[in-house]
Amino acid sequence: MLRLYLTCIRNTLEAAMCLQNFPCQEVERHNKPEVELKTSPELLLNSVVICRNEAEKCLIETSINSLRISLKVKQADELENILTKKFLRFLSMRAEAFQVLRRKPVQGYDISFLITNYHCEEMQKQRLIDFIVQFMEDIDKEISELKLSVNTRGRLVATEFLKQFI
Amino acid sequence: MSRHRQKHNMACFQRESPALKEILLRLYRAEKPLEFDHHLYEFGSVEYHVQASASIPDNTYLSIATPLLYQDFILSSGLPRYTLEMVKGISPDVIEIIEPPKEGYKLTLRLKYSRIPRNKGGVKMIASISSVQGVILSSQLKDMLMNVNSLEVSQGMYRPVKLIYHPREPFFVIKQPEKITAVFPMRFKEDTDVIIATAFFQELMDIGSSKAFVKAPHCIWSPIPPAELRGEPIEDLSTNGGFVSFDITGRHVEGKRLDKTVWNLLNFYAFVKYHVKSTRGFIQRRMRTRLESLVEVLYNAGIKDEHHIKKKNRGPKGVRKLLNFSKSKLLKKRYNFINKIKRIRSRIKIHWFSRFRKRWLNFSRFSSVTRYEKLN
Repeated sequence: MLRLYLTCIRNTLEAAMCLQNFPCQEVERHNKPEVELKTSPELLLNSVVICRNEAEKCLIETSINSLRISLKVKQADELENILTKKFLRFLSMRAEAFQVLRRKPVQGYDISFLITNYHCEEMQKQRLIDFIVQFMEDIDKEISELKLSVNTRGRLVATEFLKQFI
Repeated sequence: MSRHRQKHNMACFQRESPALKEILLRLYRAEKPLEFDHHLYEFGSVEYHVQASASIPDNTYLSIATPLLYQDFILSSGLPRYTLEMVKGISPDVIEIIEPPKEGYKLTLRLKYSRIPRNKGGVKMIASISSVQGVILSSQLKDMLMNVNSLEVSQGMYRPVKLIYHPREPFFVIKQPEKITAVFPMRFKEDTDVIIATAFFQELMDIGSSKAFVKAPHCIWSPIPPAELRGEPIEDLSTNGGFVSFDITGRHVEGKRLDKTVWNLLNFYAFVKYHVKSTRGFIQRRMRTRLESLVEVLYNAGIKDEHHIKKKNRGPKGVRKLLNFSKSKLLKKRYNFINKIKRIRSRIKIHWFSRFRKRWLNFSRFSSVTRYEKLN
Protein backbone atom coordinates (compact mmCIF):
# COMPACT_ATOMS: atom_id res chain seq x y z
CA MET A 1 0.00 0.00 0.00
CA LEU A 2 2.86 2.33 0.82
CA ARG A 3 4.58 1.43 -2.43
CA LEU A 4 1.50 2.35 -4.44
CA TYR A 5 1.16 5.63 -2.58
CA LEU A 6 4.81 6.53 -3.18
CA THR A 7 4.67 5.49 -6.81
CA CYS A 8 1.64 7.69 -7.36
CA ILE A 9 3.45 10.63 -5.77
CA ARG A 10 6.55 9.96 -7.82
CA ASN A 11 4.61 9.88 -11.09
CA THR A 12 2.77 13.07 -10.20
CA LEU A 13 6.02 14.84 -9.34
CA GLU A 14 7.61 13.75 -12.60
CA ALA A 15 4.74 15.30 -14.46
CA ALA A 16 4.56 18.41 -12.28
CA MET A 17 8.26 19.21 -12.11
CA CYS A 18 8.47 21.02 -15.41
CA LEU A 19 9.52 24.41 -14.21
CA GLN A 20 10.93 27.36 -16.03
CA ASN A 21 12.11 30.79 -15.14
CA PHE A 22 9.28 33.32 -15.08
CA PRO A 23 9.80 36.88 -13.81
CA CYS A 24 7.10 38.40 -11.67
CA GLN A 25 4.32 39.96 -13.71
CA GLU A 26 3.45 42.55 -11.11
CA VAL A 27 6.76 43.87 -9.89
CA GLU A 28 9.61 44.74 -12.22
CA ARG A 29 12.88 42.88 -11.89
CA HIS A 30 11.43 40.54 -9.31
CA ASN A 31 11.33 36.82 -9.60
CA LYS A 32 9.08 35.07 -7.10
CA PRO A 33 7.75 31.54 -6.74
CA GLU A 34 4.26 31.90 -8.14
CA VAL A 35 2.92 28.95 -6.18
CA GLU A 36 3.49 30.93 -2.97
CA LEU A 37 1.95 34.17 -4.17
CA LYS A 38 -1.04 32.75 -6.07
CA THR A 39 -1.81 36.19 -7.49
CA SER A 40 -1.98 35.12 -11.13
CA PRO A 41 -4.36 32.21 -11.70
CA GLU A 42 -3.13 31.72 -15.25
CA LEU A 43 0.29 30.72 -13.89
CA LEU A 44 -1.07 28.08 -11.55
CA LEU A 45 -1.89 24.51 -12.38
CA ASN A 46 -4.53 22.44 -10.64
CA SER A 47 -3.34 21.19 -7.29
CA VAL A 48 -3.39 17.46 -6.66
CA VAL A 49 -4.14 15.73 -3.35
CA ILE A 50 -3.00 12.13 -3.06
CA CYS A 51 -4.51 10.39 -0.03
CA ARG A 52 -3.25 7.12 1.35
CA ASN A 53 -5.91 7.19 4.05
CA GLU A 54 -7.66 9.80 6.19
CA ALA A 55 -4.52 10.51 8.18
CA GLU A 56 -1.90 10.47 5.41
CA LYS A 57 -1.99 12.65 2.34
CA CYS A 58 0.17 14.65 0.02
CA LEU A 59 -0.71 17.97 -1.61
CA ILE A 60 1.16 18.94 -4.77
CA GLU A 61 0.67 22.49 -5.98
CA THR A 62 2.36 23.53 -9.18
CA SER A 63 2.93 26.79 -10.94
CA ILE A 64 5.03 27.87 -13.87
CA ASN A 65 8.21 28.42 -11.91
CA SER A 66 7.72 26.59 -8.64
CA LEU A 67 6.28 23.53 -7.04
CA ARG A 68 5.09 23.03 -3.47
CA ILE A 69 4.77 19.60 -1.89
CA SER A 70 3.04 19.30 1.49
CA LEU A 71 2.92 16.10 3.47
CA LYS A 72 0.66 14.93 6.27
CA VAL A 73 2.31 12.10 8.20
CA LYS A 74 0.31 9.40 9.95
CA GLN A 75 -0.03 9.79 13.71
CA ALA A 76 -1.72 6.84 15.34
CA ASP A 77 -1.62 8.06 18.95
CA GLU A 78 -0.57 10.97 21.12
CA LEU A 79 3.02 9.80 21.42
CA GLU A 80 3.43 9.58 17.63
CA ASN A 81 1.75 12.95 17.41
CA ILE A 82 4.29 14.70 19.60
CA LEU A 83 7.23 12.82 18.11
CA THR A 84 6.16 13.79 14.58
CA LYS A 85 5.58 17.37 15.60
CA LYS A 86 8.95 17.65 17.34
CA PHE A 87 10.92 15.93 14.59
CA LEU A 88 9.41 17.80 11.68
CA ARG A 89 9.68 21.11 13.50
CA PHE A 90 13.33 20.26 14.21
CA LEU A 91 13.93 19.68 10.50
CA SER A 92 11.98 22.77 9.43
CA MET A 93 14.04 24.98 11.72
CA ARG A 94 17.12 23.70 9.91
CA ALA A 95 15.63 24.12 6.45
CA GLU A 96 18.76 25.80 5.10
CA ALA A 97 20.53 22.44 5.28
CA PHE A 98 17.95 20.96 2.91
CA GLN A 99 17.59 23.92 0.52
CA VAL A 100 14.22 22.67 -0.77
CA LEU A 101 12.51 22.49 2.64
CA ARG A 102 10.03 25.16 3.69
CA ARG A 103 10.50 26.63 7.19
CA LYS A 104 6.79 26.54 7.90
CA PRO A 105 4.46 23.81 6.68
CA VAL A 106 1.28 24.67 4.82
CA GLN A 107 -1.75 24.78 7.09
CA GLY A 108 -3.23 21.38 7.63
CA TYR A 109 0.02 19.58 6.83
CA ASP A 110 3.10 18.55 8.79
CA ILE A 111 5.92 19.49 6.42
CA SER A 112 6.29 21.30 3.11
CA PHE A 113 8.87 21.50 0.34
CA LEU A 114 9.26 24.38 -2.08
CA ILE A 115 11.07 23.59 -5.32
CA THR A 116 11.78 26.40 -7.73
CA ASN A 117 13.17 26.47 -11.25
CA TYR A 118 16.55 27.40 -9.79
CA HIS A 119 16.63 24.17 -7.85
CA CYS A 120 15.84 22.28 -11.04
CA GLU A 121 18.70 23.98 -12.80
CA GLU A 122 21.19 23.21 -10.07
CA MET A 123 20.00 19.73 -9.31
CA GLN A 124 18.88 16.76 -11.30
CA LYS A 125 15.10 16.37 -11.47
CA GLN A 126 15.12 12.60 -10.96
CA ARG A 127 17.31 12.83 -7.92
CA LEU A 128 15.16 15.53 -6.42
CA ILE A 129 12.13 13.31 -6.78
CA ASP A 130 14.09 10.37 -5.36
CA PHE A 131 15.04 12.53 -2.39
CA ILE A 132 11.43 13.54 -1.69
CA VAL A 133 10.17 9.96 -1.90
CA GLN A 134 13.07 8.66 0.19
CA PHE A 135 12.42 11.42 2.73
CA MET A 136 8.81 10.28 3.11
CA GLU A 137 9.89 6.70 3.72
CA ASP A 138 12.58 7.75 6.18
CA ILE A 139 10.23 9.95 8.18
CA ASP A 140 7.74 7.14 8.65
CA LYS A 141 10.49 4.76 9.63
CA GLU A 142 12.12 7.25 11.99
CA ILE A 143 8.89 8.08 13.82
CA SER A 144 8.16 4.38 14.32
CA GLU A 145 11.68 3.76 15.62
CA LEU A 146 11.51 6.75 17.93
CA LYS A 147 8.24 5.57 19.40
CA LEU A 148 9.63 2.11 19.93
CA SER A 149 12.76 3.52 21.59
CA VAL A 150 10.74 5.72 23.93
CA ASN A 151 8.54 2.81 24.97
CA THR A 152 11.55 0.55 25.42
CA ARG A 153 13.26 3.15 27.59
CA GLY A 154 10.11 3.52 29.67
CA ARG A 155 9.93 -0.23 30.13
CA LEU A 156 13.56 -0.49 31.22
CA VAL A 157 13.21 2.39 33.67
CA ALA A 158 9.99 0.94 35.10
CA THR A 159 11.72 -2.42 35.55
CA GLU A 160 14.62 -0.84 37.40
CA PHE A 161 12.26 1.15 39.63
CA LEU A 162 10.18 -1.85 40.62
CA LYS A 163 13.25 -4.03 41.17
CA GLN A 164 14.18 -1.83 44.12
CA PHE A 165 11.12 -3.04 46.00
CA ILE A 166 11.88 -6.72 45.57
CA MET B 1 23.49 29.53 48.73
CA SER B 2 26.10 27.00 47.79
CA ARG B 3 26.14 25.43 44.37
CA HIS B 4 27.37 21.93 43.75
CA ARG B 5 27.80 19.87 40.65
CA GLN B 6 26.05 16.53 40.45
CA LYS B 7 28.65 14.00 39.44
CA HIS B 8 26.85 10.75 38.84
CA ASN B 9 23.37 10.95 40.32
CA MET B 10 20.93 13.73 40.79
CA ALA B 11 21.24 15.42 44.18
CA CYS B 12 17.62 14.60 45.01
CA PHE B 13 18.34 10.86 44.67
CA GLN B 14 21.27 11.03 47.01
CA ARG B 15 20.43 10.80 50.66
CA GLU B 16 23.22 13.13 51.68
CA SER B 17 23.21 16.80 50.86
CA PRO B 18 26.24 17.43 48.61
CA ALA B 19 26.67 21.00 49.84
CA LEU B 20 26.54 20.05 53.51
CA LYS B 21 28.88 17.13 52.92
CA GLU B 22 31.46 19.37 51.30
CA ILE B 23 31.33 21.82 54.18
CA LEU B 24 31.62 19.13 56.84
CA LEU B 25 34.47 17.47 54.94
CA ARG B 26 36.29 20.81 54.74
CA LEU B 27 36.09 21.10 58.50
CA TYR B 28 37.11 17.46 58.90
CA ARG B 29 40.18 17.84 56.69
CA ALA B 30 41.29 21.22 58.03
CA GLU B 31 44.81 21.07 59.45
CA LYS B 32 43.99 23.50 62.22
CA PRO B 33 40.65 24.44 63.82
CA LEU B 34 38.65 26.92 61.75
CA GLU B 35 36.32 29.74 62.71
CA PHE B 36 33.27 28.93 60.63
CA ASP B 37 29.69 30.25 60.36
CA HIS B 38 27.85 29.26 57.22
CA HIS B 39 24.19 29.28 56.19
CA LEU B 40 23.17 26.86 53.48
CA TYR B 41 19.84 26.69 51.59
CA GLU B 42 18.54 23.80 49.52
CA PHE B 43 15.43 23.11 47.47
CA GLY B 44 14.02 26.48 48.48
CA SER B 45 12.83 25.34 51.89
CA VAL B 46 15.66 23.51 53.68
CA GLU B 47 18.16 25.52 55.69
CA TYR B 48 21.35 24.40 57.35
CA HIS B 49 23.49 26.43 59.74
CA VAL B 50 27.01 25.19 60.40
CA GLN B 51 29.05 26.81 63.17
CA ALA B 52 32.54 25.96 64.28
CA SER B 53 34.81 27.79 66.68
CA ALA B 54 38.61 27.83 66.53
CA SER B 55 38.80 28.16 70.32
CA ILE B 56 36.64 25.05 70.95
CA PRO B 57 37.67 22.78 68.06
CA ASP B 58 35.70 19.71 69.07
CA ASN B 59 32.34 21.45 69.00
CA THR B 60 30.79 21.93 65.62
CA TYR B 61 27.10 22.82 65.62
CA LEU B 62 24.74 21.84 62.81
CA SER B 63 21.20 23.22 62.84
CA ILE B 64 18.53 22.13 60.39
CA ALA B 65 15.26 23.78 59.40
CA THR B 66 13.12 21.69 57.11
CA PRO B 67 9.40 21.51 56.40
CA LEU B 68 8.11 18.25 57.76
CA LEU B 69 6.48 15.61 55.65
CA TYR B 70 3.24 15.57 57.60
CA GLN B 71 2.32 19.13 58.56
CA ASP B 72 -0.54 18.16 60.89
CA PHE B 73 1.72 16.02 63.00
CA ILE B 74 4.04 18.72 64.27
CA LEU B 75 4.36 18.50 68.02
CA SER B 76 4.84 21.65 69.98
CA SER B 77 7.80 20.13 71.76
CA GLY B 78 9.75 19.58 68.53
CA LEU B 79 10.46 16.55 66.43
CA PRO B 80 8.88 13.20 67.36
CA ARG B 81 10.87 10.84 69.56
CA TYR B 82 11.11 8.27 66.79
CA THR B 83 12.74 10.85 64.50
CA LEU B 84 15.23 11.91 67.17
CA GLU B 85 16.18 8.28 67.74
CA MET B 86 16.79 7.74 64.05
CA VAL B 87 18.95 10.87 63.83
CA LYS B 88 20.99 9.80 66.84
CA GLY B 89 21.31 6.38 65.26
CA ILE B 90 23.25 7.82 62.31
CA SER B 91 26.37 7.99 64.44
CA PRO B 92 25.74 7.71 68.21
CA ASP B 93 29.36 8.49 69.22
CA VAL B 94 29.66 11.61 67.13
CA ILE B 95 26.20 13.16 67.22
CA GLU B 96 24.69 14.78 70.26
CA ILE B 97 21.22 16.31 70.06
CA ILE B 98 20.98 19.73 71.66
CA GLU B 99 17.72 20.49 73.42
CA PRO B 100 16.12 22.88 72.78
CA PRO B 101 17.21 23.48 69.16
CA LYS B 102 18.39 26.93 68.07
CA GLU B 103 15.72 29.46 67.40
CA GLY B 104 14.22 29.11 63.93
CA TYR B 105 15.48 25.56 63.48
CA LYS B 106 13.87 22.17 64.00
CA LEU B 107 16.99 20.40 65.18
CA THR B 108 20.45 21.30 66.45
CA LEU B 109 23.27 18.77 66.60
CA ARG B 110 26.71 18.95 68.16
CA LEU B 111 29.28 17.05 66.11
CA LYS B 112 32.36 15.77 67.94
CA TYR B 113 35.00 15.75 65.26
CA SER B 114 37.60 14.21 67.57
CA ARG B 115 35.59 10.97 67.57
CA ILE B 116 35.48 10.70 63.79
CA PRO B 117 38.22 8.28 62.62
CA ARG B 118 40.88 9.63 60.27
CA ASN B 119 40.36 7.16 57.46
CA LYS B 120 37.81 6.21 54.80
CA GLY B 121 35.38 5.33 57.55
CA GLY B 122 35.50 8.93 58.69
CA VAL B 123 34.48 10.17 55.27
CA LYS B 124 31.60 7.69 55.23
CA MET B 125 30.50 8.95 58.63
CA ILE B 126 30.51 12.54 57.38
CA ALA B 127 28.38 11.43 54.40
CA SER B 128 25.89 9.76 56.75
CA ILE B 129 25.68 12.91 58.87
CA SER B 130 25.04 14.94 55.70
CA SER B 131 21.94 12.83 55.07
CA VAL B 132 20.24 14.09 58.26
CA GLN B 133 17.45 15.87 56.36
CA GLY B 134 16.57 12.70 54.46
CA VAL B 135 16.60 10.76 57.74
CA ILE B 136 14.21 13.24 59.38
CA LEU B 137 11.70 13.09 56.52
CA SER B 138 11.92 9.36 55.87
CA SER B 139 11.51 8.64 59.60
CA GLN B 140 8.09 10.28 59.48
CA LEU B 141 6.94 8.11 56.59
CA LYS B 142 8.47 5.02 58.19
CA ASP B 143 6.55 5.73 61.36
CA MET B 144 3.35 6.09 59.36
CA LEU B 145 3.88 2.93 57.35
CA MET B 146 4.60 0.91 60.45
CA ASN B 147 2.07 2.47 62.75
CA VAL B 148 -0.90 4.34 61.30
CA ASN B 149 -3.29 4.04 64.23
CA SER B 150 -3.14 7.76 64.76
CA LEU B 151 -4.96 8.38 61.49
CA GLU B 152 -8.58 9.43 61.72
CA VAL B 153 -11.39 7.17 60.63
CA SER B 154 -14.26 8.79 58.85
CA GLN B 155 -17.36 6.94 57.65
CA GLY B 156 -15.63 3.61 57.83
CA MET B 157 -12.69 4.79 55.77
CA TYR B 158 -9.33 6.04 56.86
CA ARG B 159 -8.76 9.66 55.99
CA PRO B 160 -5.99 10.27 53.44
CA VAL B 161 -2.88 11.86 54.87
CA LYS B 162 -1.25 14.55 52.77
CA LEU B 163 2.55 14.46 52.75
CA ILE B 164 4.88 17.04 51.22
CA TYR B 165 8.42 16.03 50.35
CA HIS B 166 9.06 18.54 47.58
CA PRO B 167 7.25 21.88 47.60
CA ARG B 168 4.11 21.95 45.39
CA GLU B 169 4.27 18.16 44.98
CA PRO B 170 2.18 16.62 47.72
CA PHE B 171 1.22 12.97 47.75
CA PHE B 172 -1.28 11.00 49.82
CA VAL B 173 -1.03 7.94 52.00
CA ILE B 174 -4.25 6.03 52.75
CA LYS B 175 -4.55 3.19 55.21
CA GLN B 176 -6.69 0.33 53.97
CA PRO B 177 -7.32 -3.19 55.20
CA GLU B 178 -4.03 -5.16 54.87
CA LYS B 179 -2.30 -2.47 52.84
CA ILE B 180 -1.35 1.16 52.62
CA THR B 181 -1.93 3.02 49.36
CA ALA B 182 0.38 5.84 48.29
CA VAL B 183 -1.27 8.08 45.66
CA PHE B 184 0.79 10.53 43.61
CA PRO B 185 -1.07 13.27 41.70
CA MET B 186 1.17 13.98 38.71
CA ARG B 187 1.56 17.47 37.25
CA PHE B 188 3.78 18.56 34.40
CA LYS B 189 4.51 21.90 32.82
CA GLU B 190 4.34 20.81 29.18
CA ASP B 191 2.07 18.56 27.13
CA THR B 192 5.08 16.66 25.80
CA ASP B 193 6.09 15.75 29.35
CA VAL B 194 2.55 14.56 30.06
CA ILE B 195 2.57 12.21 27.09
CA ILE B 196 6.05 10.81 27.80
CA ALA B 197 5.13 10.30 31.45
CA THR B 198 1.82 8.66 30.58
CA ALA B 199 3.65 6.19 28.33
CA PHE B 200 5.99 5.48 31.26
CA PHE B 201 3.11 4.93 33.69
CA GLN B 202 1.47 2.49 31.31
CA GLU B 203 4.72 0.54 31.07
CA LEU B 204 4.95 0.65 34.87
CA MET B 205 1.47 -0.88 35.12
CA ASP B 206 2.30 -3.54 32.53
CA ILE B 207 5.54 -4.53 34.21
CA GLY B 208 3.98 -4.43 37.68
CA SER B 209 1.26 -6.84 36.67
CA SER B 210 3.70 -9.35 35.12
CA LYS B 211 4.71 -12.58 36.87
CA ALA B 212 8.30 -11.47 37.46
CA PHE B 213 7.17 -8.55 39.62
CA VAL B 214 4.46 -10.17 41.70
CA LYS B 215 6.36 -9.20 44.84
CA ALA B 216 6.62 -5.52 43.86
CA PRO B 217 3.89 -3.10 45.00
CA HIS B 218 0.85 -3.20 42.75
CA CYS B 219 0.81 -0.08 40.61
CA ILE B 220 -2.22 1.63 39.02
CA TRP B 221 -2.39 4.74 36.87
CA SER B 222 -5.66 6.53 36.24
CA PRO B 223 -6.48 9.88 34.64
CA ILE B 224 -9.10 10.63 37.30
CA PRO B 225 -8.66 10.81 41.09
CA PRO B 226 -9.14 7.48 42.88
CA ALA B 227 -12.21 7.05 45.07
CA GLU B 228 -10.10 7.25 48.25
CA LEU B 229 -9.29 10.90 47.55
CA ARG B 230 -12.86 12.10 47.33
CA GLY B 231 -13.35 15.05 49.62
CA GLU B 232 -9.83 16.39 49.26
CA PRO B 233 -9.36 20.03 48.17
CA ILE B 234 -9.76 20.59 44.45
CA GLU B 235 -6.34 22.20 44.09
CA ASP B 236 -4.75 18.96 45.24
CA LEU B 237 -6.77 16.89 42.78
CA SER B 238 -6.37 18.98 39.63
CA THR B 239 -3.63 17.42 37.57
CA ASN B 240 -2.68 16.90 33.93
CA GLY B 241 -0.72 13.67 34.38
CA GLY B 242 -3.26 11.57 36.20
CA PHE B 243 -2.77 9.68 39.47
CA VAL B 244 -0.29 6.89 40.20
CA SER B 245 -1.07 4.58 43.13
CA PHE B 246 1.16 2.04 44.84
CA ASP B 247 -0.20 -0.59 47.20
CA ILE B 248 2.31 -1.17 49.99
CA THR B 249 1.78 -4.40 51.90
CA GLY B 250 3.46 -5.75 55.03
CA ARG B 251 6.04 -7.49 52.86
CA HIS B 252 7.43 -4.19 51.60
CA VAL B 253 8.05 -2.74 55.05
CA GLU B 254 9.77 -5.73 56.66
CA GLY B 255 13.26 -5.19 58.01
CA LYS B 256 15.67 -3.47 55.62
CA ARG B 257 13.01 -3.15 52.90
CA LEU B 258 11.27 -0.43 54.90
CA ASP B 259 14.08 2.04 54.31
CA LYS B 260 14.21 1.31 50.57
CA THR B 261 10.44 1.48 50.17
CA VAL B 262 10.27 4.79 52.00
CA TRP B 263 13.12 6.31 49.97
CA ASN B 264 11.61 5.14 46.67
CA LEU B 265 8.22 6.59 47.53
CA LEU B 266 9.70 9.91 48.65
CA ASN B 267 11.69 10.21 45.41
CA PHE B 268 9.04 8.99 42.98
CA TYR B 269 8.32 12.47 41.63
CA ALA B 270 11.99 13.21 41.10
CA PHE B 271 12.43 9.83 39.42
CA VAL B 272 9.62 10.45 36.94
CA LYS B 273 10.80 13.97 36.16
CA TYR B 274 14.34 12.72 35.61
CA HIS B 275 13.07 10.02 33.26
CA VAL B 276 11.03 12.56 31.26
CA LYS B 277 14.01 14.90 31.02
CA SER B 278 16.33 12.09 29.92
CA THR B 279 13.83 10.92 27.31
CA ARG B 280 13.57 14.41 25.87
CA GLY B 281 17.34 14.58 25.67
CA PHE B 282 17.43 11.18 23.99
CA ILE B 283 14.82 12.26 21.41
CA GLN B 284 16.82 15.42 20.70
CA ARG B 285 20.08 13.52 20.22
CA ARG B 286 18.39 11.02 17.96
CA MET B 287 16.83 13.74 15.83
CA ARG B 288 20.21 15.43 15.47
CA THR B 289 21.82 12.19 14.27
CA ARG B 290 18.98 11.55 11.86
CA LEU B 291 19.25 15.06 10.47
CA GLU B 292 22.88 14.45 9.61
CA SER B 293 22.04 11.23 7.78
CA LEU B 294 19.14 12.80 5.88
CA VAL B 295 21.28 15.71 4.75
CA GLU B 296 24.08 13.35 3.82
CA VAL B 297 21.67 11.49 1.55
CA LEU B 298 20.86 14.78 -0.11
CA TYR B 299 24.50 15.68 -0.60
CA ASN B 300 25.76 12.25 -1.53
CA ALA B 301 22.98 11.84 -4.05
CA GLY B 302 25.06 14.31 -5.95
CA ILE B 303 22.44 16.89 -6.56
CA LYS B 304 24.23 20.02 -5.42
CA ASP B 305 26.49 22.34 -7.39
CA GLU B 306 29.56 23.36 -5.44
CA HIS B 307 29.43 27.00 -6.52
CA HIS B 308 26.02 27.53 -4.99
CA ILE B 309 26.91 26.20 -1.61
CA LYS B 310 27.88 28.91 0.79
CA LYS B 311 29.70 27.99 3.92
CA LYS B 312 26.73 28.82 6.16
CA ASN B 313 24.44 26.59 4.11
CA ARG B 314 26.63 23.56 4.18
CA GLY B 315 24.54 21.96 6.84
CA PRO B 316 25.72 20.10 9.93
CA LYS B 317 29.40 19.69 10.69
CA GLY B 318 29.30 15.99 9.89
CA VAL B 319 28.59 16.58 6.20
CA ARG B 320 31.82 17.61 4.51
CA LYS B 321 32.53 15.70 1.32
CA LEU B 322 30.52 16.50 -1.79
CA LEU B 323 30.53 14.65 -5.04
CA ASN B 324 30.30 17.03 -7.94
CA PHE B 325 28.13 15.47 -10.54
CA SER B 326 25.79 18.31 -11.39
CA LYS B 327 24.20 18.39 -14.79
CA SER B 328 26.30 21.25 -16.17
CA LYS B 329 29.48 19.60 -15.02
CA LEU B 330 28.52 16.34 -16.71
CA LEU B 331 27.86 18.05 -20.01
CA LYS B 332 31.11 19.93 -19.75
CA LYS B 333 33.06 16.75 -19.11
CA ARG B 334 31.41 14.99 -22.00
CA TYR B 335 32.27 17.91 -24.31
CA ASN B 336 35.89 17.89 -23.20
CA PHE B 337 36.14 14.17 -23.69
CA ILE B 338 34.75 14.37 -27.21
CA ASN B 339 37.18 17.13 -28.09
CA LYS B 340 40.03 15.10 -26.74
CA ILE B 341 39.06 12.15 -28.91
CA LYS B 342 38.83 14.41 -31.93
CA ARG B 343 42.26 15.83 -31.26
CA ILE B 344 43.75 12.36 -31.00
CA ARG B 345 42.14 11.26 -34.23
CA SER B 346 42.92 14.36 -36.31
CA ARG B 347 46.03 14.53 -38.37
CA ILE B 348 49.08 16.39 -37.24
CA LYS B 349 49.36 19.55 -39.25
CA ILE B 350 52.87 20.60 -40.29
CA HIS B 351 52.88 23.22 -43.01
CA TRP B 352 55.81 22.12 -45.16
CA PHE B 353 54.93 18.51 -44.58
CA SER B 354 51.70 18.58 -46.56
CA ARG B 355 53.46 18.18 -49.85
CA PHE B 356 55.50 15.34 -48.48
CA ARG B 357 52.40 13.69 -47.01
CA LYS B 358 50.45 13.83 -50.21
CA ARG B 359 53.26 12.28 -52.13
CA TRP B 360 54.76 9.74 -49.83
CA LEU B 361 52.53 9.08 -46.88
CA ASN B 362 49.13 7.69 -47.02
CA PHE B 363 47.35 7.40 -43.64
CA SER B 364 44.91 4.59 -43.55
CA ARG B 365 41.35 5.26 -42.67
CA PHE B 366 40.37 4.75 -39.04
CA SER B 367 38.88 1.33 -38.67
CA SER B 368 36.43 0.41 -35.93
CA VAL B 369 37.64 -2.06 -33.33
CA THR B 370 34.38 -3.89 -33.63
CA ARG B 371 34.93 -4.71 -37.30
CA TYR B 372 37.30 -7.38 -38.49
CA GLU B 373 39.36 -7.02 -41.66
CA LYS B 374 40.75 -10.14 -43.13
CA LEU B 375 44.37 -9.80 -44.23
CA ASN B 376 45.36 -11.55 -47.39
